[in-house]
Amino acid sequence: MNAARGEVPITVEGDIVAVRRLLREVAQEVGFGTTDVTRVVTAASELARNAYKYGGGGVMRWQVIEANGRRGIELKFIDQGPGIVDVSRALEQGYTTGKGLGLGLPAAKRLMDEIDIQSIVGSGTTVTSRKWCSM
Amino acid sequence: MGEYAISVVKVRDTLLVTVPAEPDDSTVSALQERVLGAMERHDPKRVVLDISAVETLDSFFARTVSETARMVTLMGGRTIIVGMRPAVAITATQIGVTLSGIETALTVERALEQTDPLTAR
Repeated sequence: MNAARGEVPITVEGDIVAVRRLLREVAQEVGFGTTDVTRVVTAASELARNAYKYGGGGVMRWQVIEANGRRGIELKFIDQGPGIVDVSRALEQGYTTGKGLGLGLPAAKRLMDEIDIQSIVGSGTTVTSRKWCSM
Repeated sequence: MGEYAISVVKVRDTLLVTVPAEPDDSTVSALQERVLGAMERHDPKRVVLDISAVETLDSFFARTVSETARMVTLMGGRTIIVGMRPAVAITATQIGVTLSGIETALTVERALEQTDPLTAR
């Protein structure tokens, strides 16, 4: 892994797999253990699917981060979809306005250390999440 | 396509379904149709779903597996999930995936040894 940041388009369904493959490699490189690698990849899979299915596609930007001597990874999923009307409800398990089960965002929230959702109805959603390596 | 393919093989009275490491969503959706189709054609006693290669079990995949198992039950069969990796089991539990009511086994061999609770004495 030469670059410590990058971008992956999410425009076709197969890009969800591309996101998983890339992040598995990046997360291992950052120093996450097997279980945390799986957590990061699973969270990314949920968020990539949300961006693809409900956001009409978008992009994932990732970067390796560092603070207080710890390394981590930051993932930003950006779409220009319809946006989320009630962000706090969208984080509740089982809440959905679409055909999904409403599991994606709550799952990502549980698996990552930090999650932040910025959404503007009619113009899109950006989900930023971070996970830190355990010492 | 090849690396994404799900293999469905009938061995005696068992349908052995092997899932690749990182199946895309359409492969996962196709799993349901292929398993049910094979149920109808081969009339197996059990479906052994080998997920030992699977590295990511997200909510979509889990929902499809659990729906498929319910449908297999409705068709008179039973489903045994085999080989879930430790990291996958930890992550799945954390996001609330329970796969409740589905039998599990550590290896395909163990799954084949498991007696049918309905016919066992």
